[in-house]
Amino acid sequence: MDWGRIQFFLGEVFTNFTRNAAMQFTAIGTVAVTIVMLGAFLYVRDTLATFGQGILKQIEIAVYLDDNATDAQAKTLAASLAADERISSARYVPRAEGLQEMRARLGSDFDTSLLTENPLPNAFRVSVRNADDVPAVAATIGKLPGVAKVDYAADTVTKLLKAADVIGRVGLAMIALLVLTAAIIIANTIRLTVFARRREIAIMQLVGATNMYIRMPFIAEGIIAGLLGAVVAIGVLALAQMQIVPKIAATLQFVPFEVNQLQLAGELLLVGAVVGLISSWFSVGRYLRA
Amino acid sequence: MIELRSVTLTYPNGTRALDDIDLEIGKADFVFLVGHSGTGKSSLLKLLYREVVPDSGEVIVDGIRVDKLRRGKVAALRRNIGVVFQDFKLLSNKTVWENVAFALQVTGARSKDVMRQVPRVLDLVGLSHKSRMLPSELSGGEQQRAAIARALVNNPKILLCDEPTGNLDPSNTTEIIELLQRINLKGTTVLVATHNQAVVDRMRRRVVRLENGRILHDDERGYYFRGLGQNPVLSG
Repeated sequence: MDWGRIQFFLGEVFTNFTRNAAMQFTAIGTVAVTIVMLGAFLYVRDTLATFGQGILKQIEIAVYLDDNATDAQAKTLAASLAADERISSARYVPRAEGLQEMRARLGSDFDTSLLTENPLPNAFRVSVRNADDVPAVAATIGKLPGVAKVDYAADTVTKLLKAADVIGRVGLAMIALLVLTAAIIIANTIRLTVFARRREIAIMQLVGATNMYIRMPFIAEGIIAGLLGAVVAIGVLALAQMQIVPKIAATLQFVPFEVNQLQLAGELLLVGAVVGLISSWFSVGRYLRA
Repeated sequence: MIELRSVTLTYPNGTRALDDIDLEIGKADFVFLVGHSGTGKSSLLKLLYREVVPDSGEVIVDGIRVDKLRRGKVAALRRNIGVVFQDFKLLSNKTVWENVAFALQVTGARSKDVMRQVPRVLDLVGLSHKSRMLPSELSGGEQQRAAIARALVNNPKILLCDEPTGNLDPSNTTEIIELLQRINLKGTTVLVATHNQAVVDRMRRRVVRLENGRILHDDERGYYFRGLGQNPVLSG
């Protein structure tokens, strides 16, 4: 390690960084706002995803057997359900038990004593490991011998999945626009630094500094601006997490707030650094080619 | 060391800066490039450090075809060529030492080399005692000496000077020219573009005169105006 060389480089970066303090603030602020939005979005999306998975996990597929199905057929069916990797549990519900369950569920709303015979077929109640598999598993079971009908909350599942998808897309598009804005502002800030240092750059080129070398301090500047923006944003998000989430959680007790915060913070830092890197790379590159 | 073969250079605005130039300069030569403003002196120097590329012809510096040099190789070429300008081009916020060291640092030199080379060139140009001063605290002659130190700190084989005394009074001019001569005696090829007649006529070195982008004459031990010598009436 050549400490003198590192010192010189850091000095260059520091000079760059402090030259346009006001503009630098704007850049960092924009990055921060962008990343707060991004972070909040990812947080909400993760929470919704966990929530949605939770709901979907509870969805059972009701498999009604043919009235003519034999015990042997029921056993084969039980075996093939048990063999399916996607299925977490399959419980056999004989028609008598089914009726009892129905009585318990409906209570006094419906007088089952009026029934002269049990209208329910024998059934399996199937739970699926991954909620996304519900439609596919239902379709597979429907084709098995002895199965009369397969039922699940199809509408609810598909609508939930669709809604989550649409929200995700719209959110991502908006965030992409914000990221672009932040990148342009960083690029402009660095262009100002480049302009302010054009005499130095001219001399560097004259004495034989490589373009890569000339570029490096500016790139470092961009990355630092991006990282600082991300740090500010993470601070704001952490504060929000501490102040706001407990209140929401108190009202919405069924929503699980289980986001991997360290991983999220790491991702946001990475986004900040990459935005800074790319925008500064292009803004100096354009100058050096000219 | 330097060779131009049928070099023609036109600027984007259509101005013909150099027209079919043939020129050869040997190792450790000292050459004056003279002519009116706008006759192509600066353009010729720019060709050598590849600030511009000719329309046609060959530019060879130290065995390298500069006109064909890829962009990525320009930096290496320039470490072999020191350039000095009329307006010094020193960085006003850096001391003399820092200005000279800058040329080494930005080429990635080790700090050990910086500590060794900077005092050497500052001593050569006689500025050791003013190394901590800012350019604004120096006289014009001293600023130009600092610029020369910066141009030399990479140990280039060639030193190009574009009107190095254009902003200097006669005594500072003499000082700078003597310095350039000392540098030349150490084996560096020196090419000086100037229209300072007094300097050229006193030195009696090789003189290449450009006019309208062409070489008008090229004389060993020449004068600013061919055959006239120091005649203040005729040459003024």
